[in-house]
Amino acid sequence: MYFEGTSKGKKIEVEIFEHPTEWLITLNDGELKETHAVKKWDYQRMDDAISFLFENTSYMINVHGEGVKYNVYTRGSYREIPLHNDESLLHESLKGGGGLTGGDSLSSGMPGKIVDILVAEGDEVKADQPVLIMEAMKMENEMRASRDCVIKEIKVEKGQSVESGSVLIVYGDK
Amino acid sequence: MFKKVLIANRGEIALRVIRACREMGIPNAAVYSNADRQSLHVLLADEAYFVGPPPSRESYLNVENLMKAIKKSGADAVHPGYGFLSENADFARLLKENGITFVGPSPESIELMGDKVQARKTMMDAGVPTVPGSKGAVTDLEELTRVVNEIGYPVIIKAAAGGGGKGMRIVKRPEDLELSYNAAKSEAMNYFSNDVVYVERFIQNPKHIEIQVFGDNHGNAVHLFERECSIQRRHQKLIEESPSIAVPEEVRRRMGEVAVTATKAIGYSGAGTFEFIFDNETKEFFFMEMNTRLQVEHPVTEMVTGYDLVKEQLNVAAGKKLSFKQEDITQNGHAIEVRVCAEDPETYLPSPGKIERCRHPQGPFIRVDSYAYPQYEVPIYYDPMVAKLIAWGKTRQDAIDRLQRALAEFTLSGIKTNIVLLRSILEQEKFIDGTYTTQFLEKDFKNRRDLFHFVDDRAFLIAAAIEAHNDLKNRSVEKMTDKSRWKDFGRIGALR
Repeated sequence: MYFEGTSKGKKIEVEIFEHPTEWLITLNDGELKETHAVKKWDYQRMDDAISFLFENTSYMINVHGEGVKYNVYTRGSYREIPLHNDESLLHESLKGGGGLTGGDSLSSGMPGKIVDILVAEGDEVKADQPVLIMEAMKMENEMRASRDCVIKEIKVEKGQSVESGSVLIVYGDK
Repeated sequence: MFKKVLIANRGEIALRVIRACREMGIPNAAVYSNADRQSLHVLLADEAYFVGPPPSRESYLNVENLMKAIKKSGADAVHPGYGFLSENADFARLLKENGITFVGPSPESIELMGDKVQARKTMMDAGVPTVPGSKGAVTDLEELTRVVNEIGYPVIIKAAAGGGGKGMRIVKRPEDLELSYNAAKSEAMNYFSNDVVYVERFIQNPKHIEIQVFGDNHGNAVHLFERECSIQRRHQKLIEESPSIAVPEEVRRRMGEVAVTATKAIGYSGAGTFEFIFDNETKEFFFMEMNTRLQVEHPVTEMVTGYDLVKEQLNVAAGKKLSFKQEDITQNGHAIEVRVCAEDPETYLPSPGKIERCRHPQGPFIRVDSYAYPQYEVPIYYDPMVAKLIAWGKTRQDAIDRLQRALAEFTLSGIKTNIVLLRSILEQEKFIDGTYTTQFLEKDFKNRRDLFHFVDDRAFLIAAAIEAHNDLKNRSVEKMTDKSRWKDFGRIGALR
């Protein structure tokens, strides 16, 4: 199977072939291409975690997520890894999930209340500029623009309660 | 001693109090909201009483419901923990009127110190150094502008009834003054139903150093030395340690003396903390506020002094004399605490949700005060802190090494946590040499080493690839057996 993924903002091509006793996995980030033969013996699913002996380094791993995004946890660290191919993208779109959209809007990661909106439609904003303040988990959180853009549409009002995943502001290009 | 103690709180601090009660053989009762039926404090307490819907205002801050629970449980004492009603004088007074002991200072002490403007005046009278600023509340923008022009930028606007960074704004430029003033007022109104604010000079390279004090009802007062809590994000503490290597012995002694004098001056009883802003250049310290309750970071003091502060709170509240004298108290070794929060380590945005897997670190000189467990859903209604991890070491470096080791052992999967951020901070030069200030995360952490450098990237990728492969394979099998159009799609070669 072939996947396209992202790790630390870098595009990675992943090819994986399953054999009875091992996986052959090729990682290619454009500069470096390496193939790893991961023995199933070295990647064992236990009740509570996956034990992964990678080049003799012992990782106790938990993986959550499915479809096109995987969250991998180990050694107090974690990584969100978007990983997809045509088939998984199709699965996601049929499921009604958003797939890989985003970046063109600001959405709420959790339920909360809009305390203040700091921009107006048509405003030009810089990346990292605060655009609205949302209250969630007892904190007022400043939400910032992800890139230089124009505020195309504001979908919420001051005082409004929003659900997790709601689109709050739509960005447009200058 | 008390017949039964009701704990008017939730989370790890409720557990902390339950444990103290257990060790003292005091029956204990928890309270819970709808969102907390499965919280660990409910599961571990002797008894548990329902107090209302998830929002704090309707449950943990709902005095009427709490009073019903207290009556029903037959508790003769209430421990408020921190936050919620711990610094609410009306609640303390109401308990007193009903013949129930509030485990904390008198309503008068809470009132005095809870009003930051009053507190500042009282401390100035008691000879405690304070930061230059408005003499009391500022009533309008005009007055604010006048005061600010006198003391000079940058300034900090604070809510009179505030705490925990709420209703607080730093202003660096005149053009931001009006916006920040209004923001501070509206936030203060929101959180404390009181929009009175005051202003003072903002010290450029400040450290946050606080002194733990303890008083009893017999006129005794002691201090248990300092804690440094300069690592903060958005004015909320993240890492605390004791002792502070920035404080010279002579200054430490003076800070302790000042704190004890002030404690006696206000006739304070129970655990309290004097928070000082500490100028690392001049080694001057200025009173910021007094917290009239147990602090989140009290474990570091417990670890270096060996005294159980919660048990002592219960003892003192029951009318006993302090079990230790000033000369008994020494600082032994070094302790550091980190706050593990359900939040994004890069943006600090809360990340509530279901904890999939949870494994707490173990091993020598490690203490974990946590209410996390596998499959527990961290509610969106309360504080994002799920655990405190404390390490003790003979030296500061021992404690740092131990914390790093323990953080790497900590598994909390399913939600985002700040564990990688904590690990990154612990290896920063300014943290290691102790010159960090309260602006560390904002200013000095800009060139942060990659937060995610602790693990070989390829290990993450390979695990994700294997799981993605398995998922797709399984899904294709499902669809195939459904005789759907996936039949044409399936990568049959991979299915065998």
